Amino acid sequence: MKILIAIGGREFSKPTLDLGMKIANSFKSSTTIAYVGKKISQFSEKDVSVVHQNLDDRELYRPGIRTLEWAYDFLISKKYIEEKDSNKFDDYLLVDEENSRMKVLLKGQQSDKIDLIMRTGEIIEQLKNEVETNKHDITIIGGGGNKGIHQKLVQFIDSSVFVVKNYSVSKKYKILLPVNDSKGSDMAIETAINFAKSYKLNVEIVSVPEGKKSIEEVEKILKKTKEKFSKNRIKTSTKLIDGPTVNSIVNYAKDDSIVILGVSPKNPIMKYFFGSKPLSIAQKCNCPVLITK
Amino acid sequence: MNESYKVISSSILFWFSQKKWFVYSVIISIFLLNLSTPVGLTVPAYHSLIILLLVFMLVTFEPIPFPAIALLTLVLQVVLGVAPPDVVASSFMNDAVLFVMGSLMFAIAIVHQGLDIRLAKLIIKIFGKSKRMFLAGLMTISAILSSFLGEHTVIAIMLPIGLSVIKNIDTQQADGKNAVLLTLFSIAYGTIIGSIGTPSGGARNVIMINYLQEFSNVSIDYWKWMKHAYPILIIQLVVAYFVLQFTFPSSLNNIKMRGFKKNVGKTDVKKNINHLFSCLIIIGIVSSWFAFNDIYGLGIIALAGALTFMIFGMISWEEINKNTNWGVILLFAATISLGFQINETGASSWLVLKFNELLATLPSNSMNVSWSIMAVLSGLTANFFTSSATVSLIGPMAIELHPTDISFALSSAIASGFSFLTVISSPTAMIIYSTGLVSTKMFFRVGILMFSISIIILYLMSQFYWVTL
Repeated sequence: MKILIAIGGREFSKPTLDLGMKIANSFKSSTTIAYVGKKISQFSEKDVSVVHQNLDDRELYRPGIRTLEWAYDFLISKKYIEEKDSNKFDDYLLVDEENSRMKVLLKGQQSDKIDLIMRTGEIIEQLKNEVETNKHDITIIGGGGNKGIHQKLVQFIDSSVFVVKNYSVSKKYKILLPVNDSKGSDMAIETAINFAKSYKLNVEIVSVPEGKKSIEEVEKILKKTKEKFSKNRIKTSTKLIDGPTVNSIVNYAKDDSIVILGVSPKNPIMKYFFGSKPLSIAQKCNCPVLITK
Repeated sequence: MNESYKVISSSILFWFSQKKWFVYSVIISIFLLNLSTPVGLTVPAYHSLIILLLVFMLVTFEPIPFPAIALLTLVLQVVLGVAPPDVVASSFMNDAVLFVMGSLMFAIAIVHQGLDIRLAKLIIKIFGKSKRMFLAGLMTISAILSSFLGEHTVIAIMLPIGLSVIKNIDTQQADGKNAVLLTLFSIAYGTIIGSIGTPSGGARNVIMINYLQEFSNVSIDYWKWMKHAYPILIIQLVVAYFVLQFTFPSSLNNIKMRGFKKNVGKTDVKKNINHLFSCLIIIGIVSSWFAFNDIYGLGIIALAGALTFMIFGMISWEEINKNTNWGVILLFAATISLGFQINETGASSWLVLKFNELLATLPSNSMNVSWSIMAVLSGLTANFFTSSATVSLIGPMAIELHPTDISFALSSAIASGFSFLTVISSPTAMIIYSTGLVSTKMFFRVGILMFSISIIILYLMSQFYWVTL
């Protein structure tokens, strides 16, 4: 599994990086920590590039490097990587890999599991390129800032998207898994099983009767889902909740829930203009939400 | 749902989300093309104004690369019958375009020499007695250099100096944060203000000189421009110093003026010779701008500067080629070409006529009102559209307002240099913003005061000083 963790400012990216690294560690996956720098006007892009080269020559930090240095220090403090004299951050090399992508290479770096990279430009375009080029399975991003970003990420990025909202290290989390009979829901179940196994988390499976579905049909879905977890020896509880789908799930989710949802099967054009249920849930919930693809 | 349908529609949506302003601009242009031509305007003139609007939208929102906008401008001029292909081609290249090309290449060659270390040493020597003097020195040296060498050269040289003195300041505390902002803004404002000082300070100045020569047969040489603009520059610098001290009060205790000391110590004989040669070439080019701009033009002299650096092996063509923004050169060439057609087709005269009709409806219709509107409009447009492109597109209208009075054209070009409001307005603003230490809101908050004061200074100088020249 490959994980991409997108970080922004230092302090508000802490929960994102913390949870992201925990997931990466439990899945033993290779991880890319990406900082996307500000988009530069075409008028000034070459001037900015010349200035940045000049800063590198003078051993002055170019913009964005400080954020990556902060991420590096964080990883060391949490012992995700081991710092040696040979791979201190002050001894870094910034390697231009392709257009708009730069990799921080720590001299003498031992681990090839964690990459620190910097991209410059429009955030959705850059993260999409990163996922497409390096085939990441999950993109993890903070829940703050512009909500439109989350919608566009879910819409355009070819990986599952984990929006880390209101995450606290000290809380004991449980998975909240809303299910129905869609293909997206099946993928969410698979992911939830993997998460629950790796993290040893309890799972709460919920379903809301939608459209012409009878209570019996919904209960059948719940039962079938529960069996899948039981086979993997994961503790679950099931609940049938009533009301409008989005609001019912949002109200049911607590601060200690990690909501795992499947991507909507809706037409992409309709989703772009009118949104979708998983997107609305992700936007309204005040807890981490993973939309699987 | 069919998987391939999902992939295709998703790709189209992504394209649309990235290029929506291109789609909107094209739709608006097609809509305008289908309207009947306004009374008093010929079809080519009307079409030239539609292309002008299209270019404004595309450059502002940047949905497609600049070279694509440049090519589109040229293609549309011919396809929409604004001018025949030969006329478009001949208006595509002139001294102003050569100046843009030459000054960009010259700037890269200068920055490549690493003169910042030597300059830092000089600034510390002259202004190093106190930290406030040092910041005033940074601002003054930035302004003087920028007035001759252009913003992009100077900001590239001065920013490393600024960043080295604020290197380890804790920005969590207000005092430290203000010291950082004061240093960065001192360099930025010095550089921006300086660019109005001489024709070579910015491409917009050269473009306006070129237009005045072509449209009004008025010639402005290097000295004449300086006599008009340099006093404004000096007053603006003094005002900017106090505005910044007032906006960012700081004890400056954290500033370490000798941040470059270690690097300065590293200079060797080879570097010294290199720096000496670079200074001689720069002095030679600036002197030539003073002495020979009438004969050779500013563009050819700028190109000669870049050429000299290459001949002496002080910079390689690969380095120049890699760092020159060819897209901007193409875009300026195309917008200047469009500016010529807007004038030739009579579109600028029509716009000025409508502008004057509008002014006639105001209770107090005077030269002062039209000057103020033109100057503020130039300044504001430049802040949202970049200065040189603004002058290349609205310059013909500024000249047309009063073809024999150069104060309108000069004011328009100078006001276009007041890039204090937005970070997209000039390379300096964008570079300062790209450090991540200055936000767009912060830039605007300080800039609105500086912009307003600058317009007032410009007005007073044009009313009371320029008339004495």
